[in-house]
Amino acid sequence: MYEQFYELKMKVIPIYAEAGISGFESPAAEYTELSLSLDELLITHPNATFIGVANGDSMQGVGIFDGDLLIVDRSETTTQGDIVVANYNGNFVCKIIDKQRKQLLSASAKHRPVSISDADEFQIEGVVTRSVRLHRKSRELLSCLL
Amino acid sequence: MFALVDAVAFYASAEKVFDPSIRKRPVVVLTNNDGCVCAVSPEARKLNVPKFEPYFKLRNFLQQHQVVIRSSNYELYADLSSRMMSVIGRFCDNQYIYSIDESFLQFTGFQSIINDWYAYGQEIRLAVWRETKLPVGVGFGITPTLSKAANHAAKKLAGYNGVAVIDDDHSANEILAKMSVTDVWGIGGRLGKKLNMMHIHTALDLKKQNPKHMRKQFSVVVERTVEELNGQVCLSWDDVKQAKQEIFSTRSFGERVTNIHDLKAALSTHCSIVAKKLRQQGSMTKRLVVFAHSSQHEGNFYKRSFLYDFPVPTSDSRVLANAVNEILPHIFAPGVRFYKAGIGAIELVSEQYMQEDLFSPTLDNKKLMGSIDSINKMFGKGTIKLASEQQTKTWEMKRAFLSPRYTTRWSDIPKIQC
Repeated sequence: MYEQFYELKMKVIPIYAEAGISGFESPAAEYTELSLSLDELLITHPNATFIGVANGDSMQGVGIFDGDLLIVDRSETTTQGDIVVANYNGNFVCKIIDKQRKQLLSASAKHRPVSISDADEFQIEGVVTRSVRLHRKSRELLSCLL
Repeated sequence: MFALVDAVAFYASAEKVFDPSIRKRPVVVLTNNDGCVCAVSPEARKLNVPKFEPYFKLRNFLQQHQVVIRSSNYELYADLSSRMMSVIGRFCDNQYIYSIDESFLQFTGFQSIINDWYAYGQEIRLAVWRETKLPVGVGFGITPTLSKAANHAAKKLAGYNGVAVIDDDHSANEILAKMSVTDVWGIGGRLGKKLNMMHIHTALDLKKQNPKHMRKQFSVVVERTVEELNGQVCLSWDDVKQAKQEIFSTRSFGERVTNIHDLKAALSTHCSIVAKKLRQQGSMTKRLVVFAHSSQHEGNFYKRSFLYDFPVPTSDSRVLANAVNEILPHIFAPGVRFYKAGIGAIELVSEQYMQEDLFSPTLDNKKLMGSIDSINKMFGKGTIKLASEQQTKTWEMKRAFLSPRYTTRWSDIPKIQC
C-alpha cells in the first residue's frame, strides 16, 4: 500500500503556468491582509482618540508646528511633562503639563509658562500621543488650515 | 442583573464634546429643519426650556437667556454614539444597543466577581466620561424594566449621583414610590391617564396590582410590566428586537411647498426611503398611508391623508411611488402652503411568508432593487434614485445652526491652540 502510494506520488505531471490563459495566481495572495495601516500604528485606543490640527508656534521646541495633525488619546494617564490637550477657559490648547507647579509650559522661548489658578476653567482632554507633519499640503485639510 | 446605561441629554452633550467654550453653558438642539427643540442640556433644563416646543415660539426666550442653539448634527452623534457604546460594552459580555444613546447590559454569572454594583456603575460612568466626554447615567435592576426605573432615578432623583441600584424589593419600592407611573418603561401618556383613573399614580402603585387583573383590563404588555416591576424577568432582547411593524418617513419642508411637482418629488423621496428600510428588514407592506398638511401655527389648517391597499405586498420603490402618484391629486390643493408631508408603510408582512396572488402577479423587481441598494451603499446615498425624486436643493434639510462634523470630515477637525 505504502509503496503504491509512494509511486503514485512520484508520477507528477508538471503543469506550467501560462500567463494570460490560466491566470497566474499571485504568490502573495495569502498575505494581503498584512498590509500596513497608519491607524493601527498611530491610534492605540480608537474610541478614546480624536484628531485635531495645531494652530500656532508655541510648541515648535517639541516638533509641533502650525498645521500639524495632533492625535489625542483621552484614555492615557497624564504624567509629569506630557504633551497634553486641555480645555483652558473654553479653548483647546496644546501644552506641556507641569503638574507639580500647576503650570502649562510652551516649548518656545517666546512664550511664558501659564499658571492655572482656581478661577480658571481647566480640564485635561487627553495626551498628545503622536503628531503628524504634512510636508506637502493635503487637499482635504486645506480649508481647516485657513 | 441588568443595567441600562444612557447619555444625559445626548444630542446636547455631544455638541459640547468638541466645543469647550459651551461646556458649562445651556445648550438646546433642534430637530430636522430646525423645527422643534429635541434636546435640552441640564443647564438649559434649569431655565425651564420645554422639550418638543416649536423653535420659533422659543426664539426670544432662548436669546434672552443666551442659550446656545444647534441644529441636529447626525454625523457627529452617530460617531460619538458608536464610541460610547464600545466603551460601555467593555464592562459586560452581553450588550444590547437599544437606541442611539441607550444600551442594556445583561450580567450573568457576575455575582461572584462584583459585590458592589454602585461602585461598578460609577466605574462605567467615569470611563465613558474620560474617554468620550459624554455624561451617562447607569441604572441596575433585577429586570430590564427595573433597570430602566433605576436609570430614571439615577438621573432625575436627588441623591443618586448618576447611579442607582435596584437589587431587592426594598430598593425597588424606595425608587418606584418616587416615580410617576408614566415614567415606567412602556407606560405612555394615554395609558397613564386610564391608570390614574384607577388611582394608580406612582410606579409603586402599579407594582402592587394583580398582573392577571391588569391583563384583563389592558393587555399582556401591562401584565408583563407589573411582573417585571416585581422582579420577574419577562422581557428578552428578542422581544425588544422585533422587526418594526410600521415604517414612516416624514419631514417638514425647509421652505413651504405650494406646487404639486414639489410635493410629488418630496413624497417620491419618502417612497425610496421607506422602500429601502422595508427591504433592509426583509419586510413588505400591504398598505400605505400618504399624508400632507400645512402648518398648525398658520391660519386655515389643511390636512389630508389617504390609505392605499396593494393587491400584493411590495417593497419596490417604484410601486410605492406609483401609488403615491394615484393619491397625489386628492391630497394637493392649490393655495395651500404645505409644511410637512410623508408616507408610512403599515401592515407589514415578512418577505419569507409572502403569499403570491394568482390573479395579480407581483410588480416588484427584486433584482433591480437589490442592485440599487448595493450601488447606493457603495457610492453613497442617492447615487441612483427615482426620476420623480427632487433633484434640487430646496428640499434639503434646513440646518442653520449646524456645528462642524469634527470626527467625520477632515475639513472640520477641531483646532488646537499652540
